[in-house]
Amino acid sequence: MNTEKVISGFFFILAMTINFGFVYGDPANLEYHSGYELFAAIVINLIATVLKLGDKTQLGSVLLATSLVADIQLIASATVWAFAVYVMQGMNLESTVAVVSLAAGAFIANIVSVTLFIGDTLKSKR
Amino acid sequence: MESNNTIWIIIRRMRIPFLVIIVTFSISILGMTLIPGMDDQGHPYKMTFFDAFYFVSYMASTIGFGEAPYTFTYPQRMWVSACIYLTVIGWFYGIGAIVALVQDKRLARELDIARFRKKIRELREPFTIVLGYNNITHQIIDWLNKEGIRVVVVDKDAEKVETLDLENFIPEVPSLAADVTHPETLKMAGIHKKNCQAIVALFEDDVKNTKIALLCKLLNKRVKLVIKSTTQTQSEHLHNLGVRYIEDPFDFVSNRIYLALTSPSLWLLEMWIFGHILRMRHREVLPKGKFIICGYGRMGHALERALKKAGIPYAYVDIKSTIYKEEKQSAVFGDGEDYQTLLDAGVKEAAAIIAATKDDLINLTILATARKINPEIYTIGRENTLDDLSIFKSARINRVYILERILAEFTYLFIARPLAYRFVRLLHSRDENWGRALVDRMHSTLGENPLHFEITIDEEHAYALSRELAAGRKIRLGALCRSRADRSRQLPLIVLLLQKNENELELLPDDEFPLKNGMKLLIAAIDESKNDFEYIVNNYYELEYVIGEE
Repeated sequence: MNTEKVISGFFFILAMTINFGFVYGDPANLEYHSGYELFAAIVINLIATVLKLGDKTQLGSVLLATSLVADIQLIASATVWAFAVYVMQGMNLESTVAVVSLAAGAFIANIVSVTLFIGDTLKSKR
Repeated sequence: MESNNTIWIIIRRMRIPFLVIIVTFSISILGMTLIPGMDDQGHPYKMTFFDAFYFVSYMASTIGFGEAPYTFTYPQRMWVSACIYLTVIGWFYGIGAIVALVQDKRLARELDIARFRKKIRELREPFTIVLGYNNITHQIIDWLNKEGIRVVVVDKDAEKVETLDLENFIPEVPSLAADVTHPETLKMAGIHKKNCQAIVALFEDDVKNTKIALLCKLLNKRVKLVIKSTTQTQSEHLHNLGVRYIEDPFDFVSNRIYLALTSPSLWLLEMWIFGHILRMRHREVLPKGKFIICGYGRMGHALERALKKAGIPYAYVDIKSTIYKEEKQSAVFGDGEDYQTLLDAGVKEAAAIIAATKDDLINLTILATARKINPEIYTIGRENTLDDLSIFKSARINRVYILERILAEFTYLFIARPLAYRFVRLLHSRDENWGRALVDRMHSTLGENPLHFEITIDEEHAYALSRELAAGRKIRLGALCRSRADRSRQLPLIVLLLQKNENELELLPDDEFPLKNGMKLLIAAIDESKNDFEYIVNNYYELEYVIGEE
């Protein structure tokens, strides 16, 4: 068993699942989407990104790229939220859908990342 | 890409600092959003994520704008006290570690290498790799740069590379501090590139030079090598490796003295190629008579060969600079004992004395002492380094051989003026009559200070001529050497050497010589006739006019 793999695998998958948890629910209704979940998703995704740093293989670069995409989408989602609340006149339908769909995009990036990660694991353990 | 590993190692080492920052920040932010506070009207409220993020960001970086958006309650302050220690320590550690990594020597070196590689990749012009940076190569770089040949320098010593960077050569000379005997270094310097023309290795250590020659031959067979070798065995090694051009400074000097003794005109022609005017000054004429060689090392032996071949009587005084300095505890020649040594060698009746030891000061004092005994004697000195040129100049020595300068001159000629170099080599197989005739002819047509230039017959250098030749027109050499103003008059220039192909050379080709594309010419001319000639071969109308009805 490889400890490093366990830790990085844990964070990669946790990043995806928490991301899913936030996105799940009616995209037009903010009550289904908790801010705490979005916060957790951002933090876990950042940790996953850092864990992917410094892998000079081809796969490592693609994994890092997917993670960066997820980070940007999630941070954009949080930024839209904060902007809508403090600068515009509070959350409306448009901003709510934007927050959720940005996070949904991050979720897809996370799916790609986890798929690649599992694929690589399967290939090497055969 | 073995060397890129360091960058990855350093990025990997950045993980922990990043993680520390992310985790401490997120714990603090989460805490701030969970702990209830109170607004200015006394209503309970909870911080939003944005408020918490804003507050923690300036708290952790110790900017500290104060409590926002409302004054904190005591439970909040307790959490903030804990957070201060958590985040500030985490922040300092993390940022400190990242800054340290950015300043890491290895990272800086990796970046240097990356920058060097990029410069080499972007080199489009022909370039020469010079290994080792010192007085000689500095001179070579200067000359090559003027000739439009780019130079890449590698030296083991980082300080020397820094000095080179301060020189501000134009165009820029990419340089790298690295071990030159390492194949990876040579590859980085671009030995595999198509436009890499030559590699220059002129280190003091012959074995090192041979090793470099071997490496270069294995890495790239096609590249020209300029390798210094001062011993017979190393030269043989190099020959076996297929290195065609070996630089032995002692040999160069020996050849020059031989030429000067036996055939002044050829000597003059050789010196003219190196920039001397085409006239022998009075003090440059070597006297006939007995020679004395002081110093019987590699240089002394080379001189002995030259004198023997020329049939000049000689004697030698065996002075080894290192041993002399050890025994006498001084680097000044000329006490009573030394006087006697010189007298024994026959300074009184000798015509010339050559001081050829490895020590400049000893050489100077030998010549001064000899002159004291025999004021008429012709003095020849060996100067080892280019540093103290002025001392030798003010010592009024008749002739000075600066080994470093000679090396630099030959290297430059070989790389930048291949035809002139071959012309010099061919001179050595000619005799005085031939040389005298050529010098006279040059005097009568070009005067005493002609210049020489090389031209290749191709579209780049001789557009019109090369197009006409490609179209099948027959043009003889003589048809081109006519005045643009009046084609019945000759243009004052002399074609010294014509290269038909890699191996076939024609010394002083006659006017009937049929030209072909790809030929190269070495031409002696004056400023105007050089410009005229270049104009003629590049311009259709001029070309048509001078060729006329032919």
